[in-house]
Amino acid sequence: MLETGAGDFAWDSATTIATAVTAGRVSATHIIEATLARIRERDPLLNSFTAVTEHRAIARARVLDEARARGEKLPPLAGVPFAVKNLFDVTGLPTLAGSKINRDLPPAARDAALIERLEAAGAILVGALNMGEYAYDFTGENIHDGPSRNPHDLNRMSGGSSGGSGSAVGGGLVPLALGSDTNGSIRVPSSLCGIFGLKPTYGRLTRARTFPFVASLDHLGPFARTTRDLALAYDAMQGFDADDPACADRAAEPVAPHLDKGAGGLRIAVAGGYFKGKTAEAVAAVDCVASALGANRDIDIPQAERARSAAFIITASEGASLHLDRLRTRAKDYDPAVRDRLIAGAMTQASLVVKAQKFRRWYREEVLKLFAEVDAILAPATPCTAPLIGQQTFMLDDVELPVRANLGLYTQPISFIGLPIVAVPVPLAPLPIAVQIIAAPWREDVALRIAHALEAQGVVAAPRPAL
Amino acid sequence: MKRKAGRKAKAARAKRPVRARAAAKTKPENSIDAFVTASAQTLGLTLDPAWHDSIAFNLRLILRHAALVDEFVLPDDAEPAPVFHA
Repeated sequence: MLETGAGDFAWDSATTIATAVTAGRVSATHIIEATLARIRERDPLLNSFTAVTEHRAIARARVLDEARARGEKLPPLAGVPFAVKNLFDVTGLPTLAGSKINRDLPPAARDAALIERLEAAGAILVGALNMGEYAYDFTGENIHDGPSRNPHDLNRMSGGSSGGSGSAVGGGLVPLALGSDTNGSIRVPSSLCGIFGLKPTYGRLTRARTFPFVASLDHLGPFARTTRDLALAYDAMQGFDADDPACADRAAEPVAPHLDKGAGGLRIAVAGGYFKGKTAEAVAAVDCVASALGANRDIDIPQAERARSAAFIITASEGASLHLDRLRTRAKDYDPAVRDRLIAGAMTQASLVVKAQKFRRWYREEVLKLFAEVDAILAPATPCTAPLIGQQTFMLDDVELPVRANLGLYTQPISFIGLPIVAVPVPLAPLPIAVQIIAAPWREDVALRIAHALEAQGVVAAPRPAL
Repeated sequence: MKRKAGRKAKAARAKRPVRARAAAKTKPENSIDAFVTASAQTLGLTLDPAWHDSIAFNLRLILRHAALVDEFVLPDDAEPAPVFHA
């Protein structure tokens, strides 16, 4: 039963919720019951959840409330509901990764490492979220579970592949979600759904006990409606983990204490050339952010188009290698659009893939040189606002291009070399669109400080949809 | 040290891409179709004939991207990005 007058905290931040729970103004149990009620009411519209962990969540909330009643100090995310893309292992559930095939897997025996870390910080898992099949997607569509929908227009894409994460946070179901980003799968849904997303440096956050896609490109990260929430979640999840071979053996570097330092003194440039916006919305969003930051310098990211091509090849090939056995035995159970890309990837010659990996090192060295001159670089997150669900092509620079392959046009060349990026939503009407704030490796603090300063100015914000 | 110095000099020369080499030029359409069929056999993949055109389309797309990477000259001692550590 909900506590009378406590409200449902639907649009409150994780920070506000944790503060209220810690102060005893509301119980964690109330927060979770209100969240579960909201999911029951609104998710039939958004289609963002594929599983709701109701009993587990209520039990966890009661443990927190009992701890508080005993006078114990609560952790920083006490009572904050969160959900995860369904490629994260959740104890007792098969890890779907958006597929039909994985429904036959045994239930996971243990939570993904990042779930354990968020729950150790007091957050409460309420469910698993819809996603594009095996994360090979930028649209948020899924032929098995149906598309997750954009909270600002239910007929439009949420973006992918972490579509349910974008939809659930943007739609006010949860204040915090986790997703993965191989080529843009955190930043694209952040842009289309109008929320904040953090793709940290490659190797920063452990991927232990999540279903992979492209090992050399896979990252995990948080979505939220405020920068501070991103920072709190990120800080709670940092730290080495031997269970992920790519996880860097590096001490945690908390960013939340530095958010209020502002953007003053930081050298910020706008990515030119390849990254020049191809639609009026993308141009307006970057101009808006650059103007607020006084960033009037353009900088060229060398060979960005080639970098995107190299990421494309590596993705196709490594992804195919992961799926080769399943393609031999269960090809008909894949989404055809995913299957045919994977099979083509399996046929890509190794010599070309290795060459792409060699180019990747060259490109990384060239791009890192730029950070001697600037602290951060701005670029559009997506070429446009949310396309319609089912839309196959769009016009960019008067050229008709496939939506599915090109929504990640601006994200792929950046994650290709593992740079940390915060996607910040510019609340344009009628639909939001995000800008990428790109920093040097391990400088998530720089990108988050800039995002926080923009948020304080009111330039970027997660707009509340009329659901 | 010598190896590193040599690499630096070559990498500097590598900044300027050259035109696509003959080997990387577009192959005849029918060679891709034949390649799809042969590759499926060697990989042990059983393809429904109805999938063939879509797979060939996707392979051509990958090869177009690959040509863009392939035409970029890198030094012989360029290391791939993921490096194995014993």
